[in-house]
Amino acid sequence: MTDRTTAVTNQSDEPGQLAMVFDLNKCMGCQTCSVACKVLWTQEEGEDHQWWMSVNTQPGLGTPKGWEEMGGGWVDGEPAPGHQPTRADFGGGWKFNHQEVMFGGRGRDTHLHPVDTGDGTTRWGMNWDEDQGGGTYPNAYYFYLPRLCNHCTHPVCVSACPSGAMYKRHEDGIVLRDETVCQGARFCMEACPYKKISFNYVRAVAQHCIMCFPRLEAGVAPACARQCPGRLVFVGDAGDPAGPVHRLVHEWKVALPLHEEFGTGPNIFYVPPLSPYRLHDDFSIDEDTPRIPPEYLESLFGPRVHAALDTLREEMERVRAGGTSEMLDTLIVYRWQDLFGQYTTDPSTLDRTPERVAVEFGRTATGRSRVETASPLPGGGPTTGPGHGREPRPRPPEGE
Amino acid sequence: METLTISELDATSTDPGAPAWDSVPSVTVPLVPVPIDAQPNAYIRVAWKDRGYGSTPAASMALARSGENLLVRLSWEASGPPMGEFPDACAVFFPQGPGPEDPGTMGSHAEPVTVWHWRDRSDVQQALPAARHLVASGPGVFHPATDARDLAANAAFDGTRWSVVVSGPATALAPGGRVAVAVWDGTNDERAGIGAVSATWTAVTA
Repeated sequence: MTDRTTAVTNQSDEPGQLAMVFDLNKCMGCQTCSVACKVLWTQEEGEDHQWWMSVNTQPGLGTPKGWEEMGGGWVDGEPAPGHQPTRADFGGGWKFNHQEVMFGGRGRDTHLHPVDTGDGTTRWGMNWDEDQGGGTYPNAYYFYLPRLCNHCTHPVCVSACPSGAMYKRHEDGIVLRDETVCQGARFCMEACPYKKISFNYVRAVAQHCIMCFPRLEAGVAPACARQCPGRLVFVGDAGDPAGPVHRLVHEWKVALPLHEEFGTGPNIFYVPPLSPYRLHDDFSIDEDTPRIPPEYLESLFGPRVHAALDTLREEMERVRAGGTSEMLDTLIVYRWQDLFGQYTTDPSTLDRTPERVAVEFGRTATGRSRVETASPLPGGGPTTGPGHGREPRPRPPEGE
Repeated sequence: METLTISELDATSTDPGAPAWDSVPSVTVPLVPVPIDAQPNAYIRVAWKDRGYGSTPAASMALARSGENLLVRLSWEASGPPMGEFPDACAVFFPQGPGPEDPGTMGSHAEPVTVWHWRDRSDVQQALPAARHLVASGPGVFHPATDARDLAANAAFDGTRWSVVVSGPATALAPGGRVAVAVWDGTNDERAGIGAVSATWTAVTA
């Protein structure tokens, strides 16, 4: 019997593990990160319903629907059985009645709507329960939670793959899949407790966020981070003591993993959301009680969330009193490129000739040969197939 | 060990309902679940230790040679019409060399076996090849063969029973060789090493 359980290769506080921090106090749920990822990576056949990056309203059922209750992860060192999210659980990728409305002469008596294909996909979608949140008036509350693959330190998806198609890259800890080896068994989807692996029903392979590794190798930050208009996504080596990721996570301890109890050692961290105070029945302010229930935040970010919020409040108080706070200055991000560590290269400055793109994308852990599909874009910007290697243009070199 | 005589066929059709198959001898191959302890990783062992699988009791197998091609016809009773996330599937295993003693291991790193793997594509996977040439080095430990050859396949489902013909290069079957088969019940989420496999190898004679 051969046990393919993966050895841990990267610890989140050691050099060589890429990590990201999302400051939820700045996330406005605009989905620019989601769309930046979608445009870049999931526009080919079988990827219509895939959102490697997605933002959900919390509290909510999220994407896929009810993912927090689907199991997986590690319990006492043993993998825990999980549910494989179905296409209906993800929803989306809808086909619309464009023909009927636009060209079928029905434009005055019907409206555009998704066509129910009988597989449940029209009854849920990536951002289905947007802004529903929790609580009741006048104390309703919600916040946004961007989610992507956590590129875990103990990736249970890797250890669940029977074919060895998945692996954790030694040099930076990114979790990848060789799609030429993937047999579509989908044990990774069951085992991942965050349910951020999707299935391509056309090509019969699983797919997930690759942390934009071809961009990283060219010195460019991941698309979700670089395109975020809220300047809330930090990227960097978790083991770099001078970097903002390390300082926020390990020094100031205000950035926390999501559902740490899943046991996989996620490397995506979140600065938890502060909230306004609750209102009494007479609408006077209850200064002792935050609007977002602390126990709910604890259910997401663990018991350390209370200390993290206390630290945020104390630092804000210090600044209000005329003091300074290096931590708040870091979170404010006065200089946009401070978010990205060493990955500050502007992609518009790269050599994007087809020949260069062929070299850059010719070998890829996702297994697609981009050399074969390289073709020039109108205006001289080459791409490597629909949506691949392409970034929305034109845009200024700085201050996106 | 059950012995199956390989027939010569003039036709190269992979139609499982072709009349030519009526004259080709077949054997009933008893199938057993791949042992849970043999599964390739802890996740699969934990997730499936209390779930039943591999309950397809038997498959009918016939072999024919047509020129340079080997045709394998498999037929088995399905648990129900195709539905759910996973496709019904079957495979034929050809040992490379003597092969492992137990076909249920689906090969090993030391003794990999050649696999011709067919899966139902009646859902949305029409872009996929009808059958794939793989190498197995353990239960569900499948990789594309480095010398992968194109396979042809056709399948028919009559409401209760699958009949599948897979055709590929006859060189897959060594002289005096033996074969084993596997069946996966997609409605029970079976795939990879979670399925039913031959209890013993079937010897093939010319």
